[in-house]
Amino acid sequence: MVPPQWYLLLAAAVFCIGVFGVLTRRNALIFLMSVELMLNAANINLVYFSQYWGNVTGQTFSLFTLALAAAEVAIGIGIILVLYRNFDDVDVTKAVTMRW
Amino acid sequence: MSRPELQSDISYTKGLAALALFVVMAAVVFAADFGPAQGFPSDANVTESIGYAMFNLDLGSVPAEGFLVAFLLIAVVLDVALDGALYLAKRENEDDETLTALIADGGRTLRRTVADDGVDGDETHGDAADDGGDR
Amino acid sequence: MAGIFDFAPAIALLPLFSFLIALLAGRRMPKGGALAGIAATAGSLLLSLATMLSLAGGEPYHATLYVWAQGVEAVDLTLGVLIDPLSAMMLVIVSLVAFLVHVFSLGYMNDEGETGLARYYAGLGLFTFSMLSFVMADNLLMAFMFFELVGLCSFLLIGFWFRERGPPSAAKKAFLVTRFGDYFFLIGVVAIFATFGTAQFAGSESFPHIAEQALHGEASVNTLGFEPQTWFTIVGLLILGGVIGKSAQFPLHTWLPDAMEGPTPVSALIHAATMVAAGVYLVARMYGFYALSPTALAIIAFVGGFTALVAATMGVVKREIKQVLAYSTISQYGYMMLGLGAGGYVAATFHLMTHAFFKALLFLGAGSVIIAMHHNENMWDMGGLKERMPVTYYTFLAGSLALAGIFPFAGFWSKDEVLYETLIHGLGGSPLLLAAYAMGLLAVFFTGFYTFRMVFLTFHGEPRTDTARDPHGVRWNVKAPLVVLGTLAVVAGVVNMVPVEKLLGIGGIDFLHQWLDGSFEGLTAHHYEEVLPYSSAYLGGETATVAIGAAVSLGLALAGALLAWRLYNVPEPVEHTDRLGGVKTLLYNNYYQDEYQVWLAESVTYPLSRAADKFDQGIVDGIVNGVSSVSLLSGSRIKRIQTGVVGTYATLLTLGLTALLVVVGLLGGWF
Repeated sequence: MVPPQWYLLLAAAVFCIGVFGVLTRRNALIFLMSVELMLNAANINLVYFSQYWGNVTGQTFSLFTLALAAAEVAIGIGIILVLYRNFDDVDVTKAVTMRW
Repeated sequence: MSRPELQSDISYTKGLAALALFVVMAAVVFAADFGPAQGFPSDANVTESIGYAMFNLDLGSVPAEGFLVAFLLIAVVLDVALDGALYLAKRENEDDETLTALIADGGRTLRRTVADDGVDGDETHGDAADDGGDR
Repeated sequence: MAGIFDFAPAIALLPLFSFLIALLAGRRMPKGGALAGIAATAGSLLLSLATMLSLAGGEPYHATLYVWAQGVEAVDLTLGVLIDPLSAMMLVIVSLVAFLVHVFSLGYMNDEGETGLARYYAGLGLFTFSMLSFVMADNLLMAFMFFELVGLCSFLLIGFWFRERGPPSAAKKAFLVTRFGDYFFLIGVVAIFATFGTAQFAGSESFPHIAEQALHGEASVNTLGFEPQTWFTIVGLLILGGVIGKSAQFPLHTWLPDAMEGPTPVSALIHAATMVAAGVYLVARMYGFYALSPTALAIIAFVGGFTALVAATMGVVKREIKQVLAYSTISQYGYMMLGLGAGGYVAATFHLMTHAFFKALLFLGAGSVIIAMHHNENMWDMGGLKERMPVTYYTFLAGSLALAGIFPFAGFWSKDEVLYETLIHGLGGSPLLLAAYAMGLLAVFFTGFYTFRMVFLTFHGEPRTDTARDPHGVRWNVKAPLVVLGTLAVVAGVVNMVPVEKLLGIGGIDFLHQWLDGSFEGLTAHHYEEVLPYSSAYLGGETATVAIGAAVSLGLALAGALLAWRLYNVPEPVEHTDRLGGVKTLLYNNYYQDEYQVWLAESVTYPLSRAADKFDQGIVDGIVNGVSSVSLLSGSRIKRIQTGVVGTYATLLTLGLTALLVVVGLLGGWF
């Protein structure tokens, strides 16, 4: 069995790559992809620890988070569509009207 | 062919926050103490256990909690997400323009001439054909 | 009838109800709320008479009705009722005059087609309520509250015709001048509370009683480091400030002549018989306290005598009938103050009573003349009204004879007794009182003169204008109150004919003296006579002094009347006062007191108030604005975090999460 630190590190790395994408990317679709990365980092953790503790709850739970991620992306695409309608561009740095 | 290139016109300074988060998480992970690993029994059917856990049946060989309620809820959520996506994608004046729903321009006002040319063209074409038929 | 005292509050509350009725429903009522007022004051009058009868056969009554502020190791603030001979007498006077004024108003206001009657009767009702409550008050704070309330009603009623220029200005002047005096009164009330811990007038726990004990060393009071005698004088003088303002004594007398801008029934009720009496009544109520301080008494007497003389001289040259009566009021209240200051408690109270009757009579008579003359008050436009308005003439004459102090009308007895008391106490070793006596005596001459000048110019001679030739008629609602008051002006002197008693040796006809003796221990006339610091001396025996005093004052009054007869009881009188030359200008302009007070307000008060305003705007408001500007500034800076760019928000989230993890990890010992 691989020591838990490595898997946790892997999940942390994937998560932080996702965060990096959220922070720096301009295209809204790439933004959504980065959010997916973050979700999947959590899933990696769930599945590994399900095997570590010998309990299948973690894996089952990760199935649900996957389904939720899918639902979230569906709504996210819809929102990006509306964003495009209003601002003529999927660039998130262009939609800055909700400000002081 | 253009190859993927790193975007050069954006500032990457915000990404340092992500780096900082990674450093902190790594520090926490390496300082943590985990209990002894247990792992699955070698001949256990994990997938079967997952299936039984979904329906609150206690027949699986690997211990699990009941996920029936979550299963049903997620079904509802997925259904709702689908409806939501459809609703967001619809345009405001969608009541009578079913034909133009598939045009992939994001819902901007269609240029009249495209639709008019097609219709007009058919009509004149028809007249010409009739005329041609008479002669 | 022992339970009649339980109805004592109703005496005051009935007019309060008429006030509310007139205020809320007056416009819909046929006479604008007059009938409610008449009914209420009639009810108050009947109850007051019943109270007086019950008191005659029984004990005085003192009850605390309501504790509106319970003190925690401090004073209790209460509302209560004190029915003793003085207050019972005043209740009857006030309710009688109020009733007659309400009836008269039917003729003066309703029949003349005035508008805004609901407001008028509401004001009268509120005033009657306040005055009756003031009379019945059992502690100084309650008296102060109703003192202020009657001042408010005076303001409202003087300014009744507020759409013209004169009345609102006069109302404002009345309110401000009396308020100036009331400021000192308020400080005095607080001083009483601080010194004695109570402001009750009656009982063993009343402040006059405690003050008396303190002077004998039997009780200890907080005198703020002064000698008790000095401190009591100071407090007495502070309260006197309010009295001088309200009773229009010099120098706060300037508001009363201007107050004649109000309707004449208001002048009769408020500025003749009742409200200005409030100051004098207050001194009489607290007489046990004032009697302990010779300095305060001397000042009261001197101010009274001085005012009597000065006001009488100013009344000599006035042209309008109501102005003459206004200065006469100031002068007569000067006599009452002189009486109180000289130790003549019974005399001053007697003069208060007779003056209420004959001055109200004179004002109502003047009101009748004003109705007849179509609201022209200038006496030089009148004349010859004697034949055309007989009822008004004879009642007015009765009032004038009483005012001038002619035997045997009511004013003679009371004024004579005031002067007599002043004389004997002055001879007993007080030169200040003798000086005040001289001033009062001189004022008798002027009083006789201006009174009969007024009568002759108005009623005698030939009519000088068409309106005088053919005056507007007046109805029963004007004549009936005049007749009632005229009768009282003639006979009211009977209650205390002290000269007759002394000269003819008949004992027991000083009814008023006996009446005022039947009060609580410490509030009787007898007790006051014991406590007063005066001793009496006579000019060759008591009877001789009485005779000399009466003869001198009667002689001066007749002399003044005769001079007026010679000068003005001619078919075509002329302005003889022009012969006074520059003195006339001085008197006509009221010794320039009005201009002086305006100058004081503009040069002294206004710069002070401007400085105070700057302080308020700059420092007090500045601090508040400064606090708010901190909030505004920080808000305007912090709001820039909301840039609208998603990436910024996500960065902030991530940084926050990192920081949180670090903090929790350090605190929880993760590392």
